[in-house]
Amino acid sequence: MPVSDPSTDLLVVGGGPAGISAARSAAAAGMNVVLADERPTLGGQIYKQPGPGFTVTDPAAMDGQFRYGRSLIDSLDGSGVDVRLRTSVVAVEGRRVFLVTDGSAARELTARRLVLAPGAHDRPVAFPGWTLPGVITAGGLQTLAKTQRVLPGERTLFAGSGPVALAFPAQLGHYGADIVTALEAGPAPRPGDFLRIARAARGNAVLLRDAARYRAMLLRQRIPLRYGRIVVRAEGDGRVERVVHAAVDADWRVIAGTEETVEVDVLCVGYGFVASLELMRLAGCDFDYQEDLGGHVVRRDEWHRTSVDGVYAAGDGAGVEGSFVAIDEGHIAGLAAAMDAGAMSEKDAAAASAAARRRLARRRALNAATKRLYRVGPGIFELPADDTVICRCEAVRRRDLAPAIASTDDINLVKAYTRAGMGPCQGRICQRQVSALIARHHGRPVEDVALATPRMPVRPVPIGALADPSIESPTLFLSGETTGADDTAPPEVTEP
Amino acid sequence: MTDALDAARWVPAEHSRAPLPSSTDVLVIGGGIAGTAMAYYLAKSGVEVTLVERGELNREASGTNSGSFHLQLAIHQLSGQGAEADRERLLGEARLSLEAYAVWQELGDELDGSLDVHQTGGWMVAETPGELQTLRDKYELEQRAGIETEVVTGAELRRRAPYLSETVIGATYCPIEGHANPLVVAPLYALRAVEHGALIRTRTEVLSIEVNRAKGRRFTVHTDAGPIDANRVVDCAGAWCGETAAMVGLRLPVRSEGLHVNVTEPRPHLLTPMVQHIGRRLTLKQTEQNTFIIGGGWPTPEAPRPRRYPTSWHSAAGSTAVAVSVVPALADVRVVRTWSGVIVFTDDFSPVVGESALVPGFHACVASTGFTFSPLLARRLAEQMISPASASPFPERYSLDRATVGTLRMEKS
Repeated sequence: MPVSDPSTDLLVVGGGPAGISAARSAAAAGMNVVLADERPTLGGQIYKQPGPGFTVTDPAAMDGQFRYGRSLIDSLDGSGVDVRLRTSVVAVEGRRVFLVTDGSAARELTARRLVLAPGAHDRPVAFPGWTLPGVITAGGLQTLAKTQRVLPGERTLFAGSGPVALAFPAQLGHYGADIVTALEAGPAPRPGDFLRIARAARGNAVLLRDAARYRAMLLRQRIPLRYGRIVVRAEGDGRVERVVHAAVDADWRVIAGTEETVEVDVLCVGYGFVASLELMRLAGCDFDYQEDLGGHVVRRDEWHRTSVDGVYAAGDGAGVEGSFVAIDEGHIAGLAAAMDAGAMSEKDAAAASAAARRRLARRRALNAATKRLYRVGPGIFELPADDTVICRCEAVRRRDLAPAIASTDDINLVKAYTRAGMGPCQGRICQRQVSALIARHHGRPVEDVALATPRMPVRPVPIGALADPSIESPTLFLSGETTGADDTAPPEVTEP
Repeated sequence: MTDALDAARWVPAEHSRAPLPSSTDVLVIGGGIAGTAMAYYLAKSGVEVTLVERGELNREASGTNSGSFHLQLAIHQLSGQGAEADRERLLGEARLSLEAYAVWQELGDELDGSLDVHQTGGWMVAETPGELQTLRDKYELEQRAGIETEVVTGAELRRRAPYLSETVIGATYCPIEGHANPLVVAPLYALRAVEHGALIRTRTEVLSIEVNRAKGRRFTVHTDAGPIDANRVVDCAGAWCGETAAMVGLRLPVRSEGLHVNVTEPRPHLLTPMVQHIGRRLTLKQTEQNTFIIGGGWPTPEAPRPRRYPTSWHSAAGSTAVAVSVVPALADVRVVRTWSGVIVFTDDFSPVVGESALVPGFHACVASTGFTFSPLLARRLAEQMISPASASPFPERYSLDRATVGTLRMEKS
């Protein structure tokens, strides 16, 4: 039974670096702040803390990332931020936000402002065999290692791209995984790349030192890092036994005759991340498209205001640029919310955000310098065979999608014809693949394929938590009046 | 094109995005179940027919309703039970629904495809003595209409429907209620219509309709893809049929409403019959995918096109509360998605179907709860258009002109 909460000045959704930072800055300006995160601990994916039942007895023995995350989380102590863990924000209707905490009834909260910092999830990639047991995403493997301190399998092949392709194999090696080979889809760095990176080095010492450290870790652990190769398919009887990989061109399209087979029992896939858009789409925000930032990216101004009044976005959920950018963006969004609420003057907000803006500019200069290396090629979305499952929730294969895609470029209709995207994940995994198939068939860029209509709940909600017996049945059809007339939610946006 | 059609499961984009022809005998406006059925029945008899749809096929009420066949008389239809004329109308409508259901039984064979038509039976439950009395009154009416139902209470009810809550004191059971898959019916009608020579053009919006006094085709219909001349027009625009009819000066007695529906994760099979409530708004069923669909007429806020109607937390919380109070085992089942659709209904619950006497050549095929009725009404309207002499006319109360004439009278007085 939903319980109405008192309202709050600001609700921050997401307890990763961006959310923590936004909540801290807004609270410091005197705002009343609620921070909600669906996980049992703060820190987000990057600073994920060990799961329930684990106690860190010696923080010094943990890695640097853990310690940095711990200090960020600890900085909320005494901030006055009302932290709600295991709490999912499942719907947004204007200022009304609906939260579900594990095991209890949904609560309604009126949030005068909203900072959305939902983070990102693994860029979904489908290839023959991707649903075999033993294939795991980088995020999934990282979660297992960080929260449960366990690793699946004996021999692991890592296939991915971007900073992750360096960091993950190194980190997993650190946790004791046997990484047979790490594949990076992008090209090997050339002298020109190092030059560009060196020119952008100012202010990015920590990032570059980390990169060098990860490279050194790979060398020390004798993990070969092979550039310009992607996973083509995984094979095995009931689980991964072999993986075939191949060399690719600049668009990540497979070069015939370059296939190699490697015997492994774990394939870890990490082709970067895509922003979690669900809440922003429900809130009605506008989007642009930048594949390298995760595909659809929410449109923001310099204060991280979205196109919807009172809604701000920060961190990887607003374009995947990593945890350092997320911290600074969260800070700016928190200041902006305080400034727009009148809790802080424009001058003070500008002054308080200046250092963060300088760091962001430097980090973006570094991102520009690595663009050639980390650009995501469309070939990664062209791997499914006819019988490859595209929508895992509803077991829809590529061949099931073909007649629907031949009839329309409207993803909503493809969904209706095939059920692809109707399952519990609401298309988070398959939608990008379906869009790519539509784009290819109809000869259009993938960014022109509109996303399916967003629908609540953003996370599955038990009926027992959702149901509110105090609501009277409407008397429909009789008077032309509806009892839902107090629903003042702004309409959701459907792409033309 | 022929090869593409042979292999197609749905109308291929090369067909539906091709240029609009300059003329046609019959122009059907609207690509929902009524429009695609009209195109199918006309084309099958050799009539030259073109269908225009401003969006995609089957995206509004025809594809967003939950596919139920409601044969038990619903509570909103009982509101006028005091007047004998109302009772007679209701009985007529009930008999029509049986006829409509008979069309559905053979529709899969007719269209040579699986429509997932299932006759599951259906409960309508009562939780108060007053509601139970209404069920008994409803039962009497249903007997007169020839709808097979029975009133079940006590131990018999517990035995036959152990999933129902203790608060349910009685229910009527109708063995012939059931459902079909609303996602495939209209698209399959459309594909078969095209195979019979109909032209279907999507993303083609009607902007205005000229009624030509001179000789030649009676209508010039202006669309955003150019004009098309037509001898006859059939308004199958569902919730927007009134706007289309207004283009020729007719006023249809219709209103529209956004409705909210919830769907859950799949769970082991629990529920074969559909479950409705006589006093509260509920339609609950478990699908072939083993998900539960919970609706029953809960409203959603309006949104102007091209936006889609949003869903509503208020309706989600209210509708699931009714569902879980009737079937307590649903408490831990998770809702994974909601959707909304815009339905049309008439002020007097009678369909708007036939040819206008005020604007000859202008037809409409619009039904309240159109999913059940559209195949029947479209087939009968097509028969009338093909051979007016031999087909039986629709009752006067279905007339397209009934609201327009009323308006004219009111203006005069």
